[in-house]
Amino acid sequence: MKYISNLQKSIEEHSENNAFYIGDTYYTYKDFALEVSKIRNSINKKVDGSFRLIGLIANDDIETYAAIIAFWLEGKAYVPINPEHPIDRNTEILKALETNYIFDSTEKANFEGFTLLASSTEKNIVINLTPKPVAKNDLAYILFTSGSTGSPKGVPITYNNLNEFIEAINFDGEFKLNASDKCLQMFELTFDFSVVSYIFPLLEGSCIYTVPRNSIKYFYIYKLIQKHKLTVLSLVPSIIHYLRPYFNEIHAPEVRYCSFGGGALYNDITEDWSKCIPNSKTFNYYGPTENTIYSSYYKLNTNSCQNTTHNGVISIGKPLNNIEYIIINENNQEVLPGDTGELALASGQLTPGYWKNKKRNNESFFTKTVNSKTLRFYKTGDLCFKDSQNNYMYLGRIDFQAKIRGFRIELSEVEFHAKASYAEKVNMVAIDIFNDLGNAELALAIESEPFDTKDMVIYMKAKMPDYMIPDHVKFIRELPYNTNGKIDRKKLRTLFDK
Amino acid sequence: MENKEIFEKITPIFVKVLEHNNFKLTETTTTDDVDGWGSLTHMIIIEEIEKEFNIKFKLFDLMTMDNVGDLVKSIKSNIS
Repeated sequence: MKYISNLQKSIEEHSENNAFYIGDTYYTYKDFALEVSKIRNSINKKVDGSFRLIGLIANDDIETYAAIIAFWLEGKAYVPINPEHPIDRNTEILKALETNYIFDSTEKANFEGFTLLASSTEKNIVINLTPKPVAKNDLAYILFTSGSTGSPKGVPITYNNLNEFIEAINFDGEFKLNASDKCLQMFELTFDFSVVSYIFPLLEGSCIYTVPRNSIKYFYIYKLIQKHKLTVLSLVPSIIHYLRPYFNEIHAPEVRYCSFGGGALYNDITEDWSKCIPNSKTFNYYGPTENTIYSSYYKLNTNSCQNTTHNGVISIGKPLNNIEYIIINENNQEVLPGDTGELALASGQLTPGYWKNKKRNNESFFTKTVNSKTLRFYKTGDLCFKDSQNNYMYLGRIDFQAKIRGFRIELSEVEFHAKASYAEKVNMVAIDIFNDLGNAELALAIESEPFDTKDMVIYMKAKMPDYMIPDHVKFIRELPYNTNGKIDRKKLRTLFDK
Repeated sequence: MENKEIFEKITPIFVKVLEHNNFKLTETTTTDDVDGWGSLTHMIIIEEIEKEFNIKFKLFDLMTMDNVGDLVKSIKSNIS
């Protein structure tokens, strides 16, 4: 597999460079190679060759990252397990895998019936980075995300999926790291943006700066930027929302690339943020985990007025090389150009299907002939449209599309007008809540000290039909975010329960 | 203002924001030691402390705070 051979080459070539900075300690590529080799030794001694999946307790240390590479060199796949998640959930995931093995660098994991793997303690282990042969459809990792049924759903990604993804990014040439880059890795290993944050630096010999799980993330990130002059940032939009009150103190001219993903990116805050990183190319990436990390992106203009936006939200741009996007209706038929519908996509990056979940696979994947090619499409559940410049706009989850009094409402539109009505830049989120009769009503959460909303309502009434005017308004000190940095709408709904 | 007085003033803020009092703040207390003290609640605690002492922290102060001792030190230097 090409990307695995390239990882080997890069780790060998850059042996003197720093590969990781984790909790105040630097590790060179040579240190890393030794850790990888120790873990390979341990796998060879302890793991029955017929098992291909290994649970990986996602700790913030060099061994955990080395385990990922060791697994790949051994033709295995990793399944990250967040040790902070409830044990029942983690047990459910591990049982679904039908593996007998877990790697835990802290050797603390205690799952009944599983063999715990750790780095070999043998002395004189020789560095060995030669990959074992793999088949292209063998798995590289499985990520479990919360499923709507309550049971976590597994998204398996093959070596070939990951290889296609890396080739698509490189084909484009917009994002090209080098051995002197210093790159931020702020994501949980259970979230696929982590893969981008470690794989591209490792392929080029750059250094990866990780963020400890229990730190105050946004301050720790700023500290890394300031102290170590990071050059490459991959962020979720919530990070800059938190840092916004301090933008005037942030000056990071070293930053070359700043990538956003995982949530709606607003043009107004990005405009202010861009002054903090004046020399950076900034991208808005979009992609479901099912299609291997990123599927499309929009490169932001230096002049924010030129950015393509809808309701103040920046476009998700055009699909990467070899990815096909179509916008469909409920019957999987393409809608008219410019019309809104569900985004479906097809590519070599697409997962072979959810892990042991036939029902879900039947619902989410379908084949269709587009431009005389018969392709397997995945329905993203994301509401989008394509503009006249062929840029795609993300409007929200289909599930977030509220139906109030029979009218379909795009919640982002309500948010846009609500924000525009107020002179100060504050974040606002519209959600649908259900009253005692089970009818949906529109609610607006405003991240601010309370203020009189009379003028705001008058403004909104001038811009939108009455069914789009929020029935309830609440002020909240800080909007709740989930561990992936996305707004936690479930938690937000409870605010309106009382 | 003495450290003791600062501790007396910030403890109720933590209790109010975190909605429990199962902790004792000392110089060496970190976010790991107190349930519910995380990214979100930290921001609110900081805002409440700024209001209480009528100060405004610099981002530099906030990023170098590793424990409650650092927080108290920073409050002290901001007051003076």
